[in-house]
Amino acid sequence: MSTRVPSSGGLPNGAALAAFAAAGVGAFAMGLISLLNATGFLPVPTLYGPAGGVTGRTTLAVLIWLIAWGTLHRQWKDQDLETGGVHAAAIGLTGLGILLALPPVWSLFE
Amino acid sequence: MDTLLFSSRSIWTMLHGIVLGGGGLLAVAAALFAMIAMRTTPPGDAAAAQSRYLAWLLVATSVLLWAAVLAGTYVSFPAYRAAPPEGLTDLSAYPRELIRSNPATAWLHSFAMESKEHMPWIAAMLATGVAFVASRYREQLMHDDKLRRIAVGLLTLTLMLVAGVSFLGVLINKVAPLE
Repeated sequence: MSTRVPSSGGLPNGAALAAFAAAGVGAFAMGLISLLNATGFLPVPTLYGPAGGVTGRTTLAVLIWLIAWGTLHRQWKDQDLETGGVHAAAIGLTGLGILLALPPVWSLFE
Repeated sequence: MDTLLFSSRSIWTMLHGIVLGGGGLLAVAAALFAMIAMRTTPPGDAAAAQSRYLAWLLVATSVLLWAAVLAGTYVSFPAYRAAPPEGLTDLSAYPRELIRSNPATAWLHSFAMESKEHMPWIAAMLATGVAFVASRYREQLMHDDKLRRIAVGLLTLTLMLVAGVSFLGVLINKVAPLE
């Protein structure tokens, strides 16, 4: 990740890029966990019986999102970074996460 | 004998789908429109005030989406997936089994509800990330083209997800309402 000097004298953009990138990581985690769970590769425990396995899958994805956000925020918050890579990663990971969370995609791996 | 107009699970479903989910859909659409429209506002007092309103709108969007997701997962979904007693033929009080009992409607569970289990969580995470950035950067977000483009992209995906799962929810509730 290359850094650049802030052009406008505002806040460094690192914290914003950390939030965007982490959102992409969380979306991808949600899709990947739902796929791996549906295909039997990743048994995730149920956290609330009446609602079933979705409680474990979604909680795990949220934890991954928050950990990714905290880690990236700590690393980047005082830096001013190039946005191109994070833009592509955030949109790409989110799109991939949405795709992997679609039930018809699960059947391709069963 | 008094008859309740709405059962508690029907009220929770309306709260989940209309108040929280519908409110979140309106809020994310408004935030996306504002973020695009406000990019031409010149720096100054007006831009500062507008960016403050936008930040609050995005925070409200996130709160509504998280509330919709949590109410849907932990309150409405258990009622939807409840198992009927052995031998019961009238499945109207058991939406999942009612939907799965008919091959013509089975996709409403296998595709629609299974998508609804995960997609809204993605939308809530995306909206929260954008709300954080709008709250921290305020006017800077409106005038930094690169940051604003990422925010608009993620909000567009959020809007598509919320609209999509809302539509699927309407279809499920038309065929097998939680009453």
